[in-house]
Amino acid sequence: MRGIVAAAVGTMALMGGAVQAATPRDALVMAWNLDALITFDPAQIAEVNGNDIIRNVCEPMVNYDLKDTSKIVPGTVAKWAVSEDGLTLTMTLRDDLKFPSGKKATAQDAEWSLHRAVMLGFGNAANITEWGFNKDNIATTIKATDEHTLAFKLDRPYPVGLLLSAMFASGSTGILDREEGTKNAKVTEGKSDYGNAFFKTAPVCVGPYRVTRWNTNDVVILERNDNYYGEKAKLRRVIIRHVPESGAQRLLLEQGDIDVARLLGTDDLKALAANVAATVAIEQTVMHGYSYLAFNGLDPILGNPKVREAFRYLIDYDGLAKTILEYQGAPRASLVPRGAFGALDAADGQPFKLDLERAKALLTEAGFPNGFAKKFILSANSFSPAVAQHVQSNAAKIGVTLQLEQMADAQLFTRARSREFEVLLIGWGAGYPDAHSMISRHAVNPDNRVEAKLAQYPSWRSSWIDAKVNEMADAAKMERDPAKRITAYHEIQRYMMKSGPMAYIVQTIRPIALRKEVKDFAITPFDVAYRTATK
Amino acid sequence: MLAAAWQVGSVAVTLFGLLAITFFMGRLLPIDPVISIVGEQADKATYDMVYHRLGLDKPLAMQFLLFVGDMLSGEFGDALFTGNKVAVDLGRVFPATIELATFAIIIGVGVGVPLGVLAAVYRGSLLDHVARFVGLLGYSSPTFWLGLMGLIVFYATLRWVGGPGRLDVAFIDSIEPRTGLILLDAALEGEWEVFANAFGHIVLPGSILGYASLAYISRMTRSFMLEQLGQDYIIAARAKGMSRWRVVRRHAFRNIRVQLLTVIALAYAFLLEGAVLTETVFAWPGFGRYLTSGLLAGDMNAVLACVLIIGIIFVSLNLIADALYRLLDPRTR
Repeated sequence: MRGIVAAAVGTMALMGGAVQAATPRDALVMAWNLDALITFDPAQIAEVNGNDIIRNVCEPMVNYDLKDTSKIVPGTVAKWAVSEDGLTLTMTLRDDLKFPSGKKATAQDAEWSLHRAVMLGFGNAANITEWGFNKDNIATTIKATDEHTLAFKLDRPYPVGLLLSAMFASGSTGILDREEGTKNAKVTEGKSDYGNAFFKTAPVCVGPYRVTRWNTNDVVILERNDNYYGEKAKLRRVIIRHVPESGAQRLLLEQGDIDVARLLGTDDLKALAANVAATVAIEQTVMHGYSYLAFNGLDPILGNPKVREAFRYLIDYDGLAKTILEYQGAPRASLVPRGAFGALDAADGQPFKLDLERAKALLTEAGFPNGFAKKFILSANSFSPAVAQHVQSNAAKIGVTLQLEQMADAQLFTRARSREFEVLLIGWGAGYPDAHSMISRHAVNPDNRVEAKLAQYPSWRSSWIDAKVNEMADAAKMERDPAKRITAYHEIQRYMMKSGPMAYIVQTIRPIALRKEVKDFAITPFDVAYRTATK
Repeated sequence: MLAAAWQVGSVAVTLFGLLAITFFMGRLLPIDPVISIVGEQADKATYDMVYHRLGLDKPLAMQFLLFVGDMLSGEFGDALFTGNKVAVDLGRVFPATIELATFAIIIGVGVGVPLGVLAAVYRGSLLDHVARFVGLLGYSSPTFWLGLMGLIVFYATLRWVGGPGRLDVAFIDSIEPRTGLILLDAALEGEWEVFANAFGHIVLPGSILGYASLAYISRMTRSFMLEQLGQDYIIAARAKGMSRWRVVRRHAFRNIRVQLLTVIALAYAFLLEGAVLTETVFAWPGFGRYLTSGLLAGDMNAVLACVLIIGIIFVSLNLIADALYRLLDPRTR
């Protein structure tokens, strides 16, 4: 028996030799949860991982400055000009753009890429269609006038800063290879897929990296594109491994088997932070996304703005941020996130605190001194149950009974989109760093009728409509003087904090833990640049 | 001949029934698969486009027929949450699970059966108590916890084994998948370094899963053996002067082989279903996680294909066990 044990230990030790630590010198190795990744076609990507990766593969026409997200810097487009009447936008592409094959990329490729995004009509086509372009007019409104020039005919004179941030810096403006896309297009029922199936695994794009392997729910590998026009990526490969469990990511990171851990839970982050022999750094980015409570306006009680205001005083914002939401959220009650153009400053954007008496008084004013009972639905994932219990226990103190029901995310979204809820805890991410992104969906509601089914508008989901806000938002959107636009947005935010259909709890934080030897891995809310990283 | 036809028929009816029940139950799930494709922020036009493309606007019976057609074609339709053909996905995740399950069952049988026999023969002894303790622990420890503890001890502290994943990063992509079983592929190509690395990665999750099935197999072996050892023919054999171990080997063990086979087949089938938690902790891209992710995304194509595969596994292991019975037990011939 002793012999067997010794032999077993010996074998293990021998194997130990084969188990090597440390990642390859010329590769960046990341661990993430890749469950939601379903495509690399920039016209279709609708989730976080895909968006993060694609920005390093398909460069947008303009970029957010990595040092200051509210600034725009040129990307594949070198310069832009607006006509006097504000209705024609001319964009000049760089003349040294090349696909990874070395083939020249032209304005015709760019035109085709934008057209296909609109024609395919996936969710993020909205980045383009929101600005008056649609399937019927796109052939005439977005045109390549020569090899380097794209002309955009606008339906209204939008402020150019807003357009650049909302449309041209979005991942939907990556330049794909028209020839490859056309050649490999699939036609079903007379409709072309514009290479959607072909680009799914390998988008042929202008950008610092290219996707060379993708095993679903296992690994994604990017290789440097040596024909990229700009500064070449420092590391030859990026390997993204699917490691769905936070504890496993932490171990891999501590052992040096990965360089970057993208999805760590609060407990693992705390443990990493407490590690004295710290070989690991934690970077926290305040994202332009929220965790918030939504109330159904069709409900006679929750439809009362005073009741909703009361809920805003049932949340211990700072307490949450220090405990359950450490590394996960920063208190923010205004619907425009800090860091966005037009946002209220930290103090003005978060005027609430836990105040049970005030909440009770508001309920009494609203006519419910003895409270009420409501159903409260939420995701079973992450911190949602803990946050919901927090709200539940405070609500109970003023006589409001909340009955919690947890469910899978997919089910929660379905319930939210079909207005089947009373109180709801859910998240939302803004698409770009401009107040318009949140206001246009959370405050504006173009049509509140049930049959309008505007499920992409959380305002509609809450059955909340306010003609005054609709008008204010439209005026702000069209204001070409930046200073006046900011003032207009401030006013809308103050109004919404008083009467809006949501109680925003925190702006989400994205913690990323990385080995100290990794440098210049630029992390911003909308763009994580693997392309600049060294180690 | 008639018996064989009867068997095939009954298998087909079983599988069809399984599919029909899962399909209609799946349609009752309050999860909308369209959302996982278009994203939560999509507008109605996008939503409707995909809803139509998925054929969700067709009558339910029609959807079921189309679905059965997809199944029969062998492609199993599109997996919505990965964007691939389900058959393609299964071709990738299933070998990962087969590899892990086979590793585990070898441990389960290799250790569990002898342990069970010893525990029965030395009933009431220290050995029996140790075996019972080991078994109980294997039954009752959550594999998720065991997995993390195992990683902390053997990977992070002792560095005897590889971390989560099937290979170290340096070896990813280093062999062309032929069977999808990395150990086998590496051996076929003579890539022994890759083999050693893959072995270092499978040994921990494989052992942990193996431990759970070991617990089950050893307990069952013990009780089967005890039943035999109490029989008169054993006493007769001993009385004739046959040695203790000869009796155990030649008589008692032979008589439990059929029962044991059923137990092992069942244990293997359970392992092949995939072990969601173990796969999650060890970042093992296997069948269990695939099925669970599919379910959470409301992706019925993927779920149904998985259910069908599980059905086929159980049915075929049953058939194999039946065939082996005939070999082992002359009375069933």
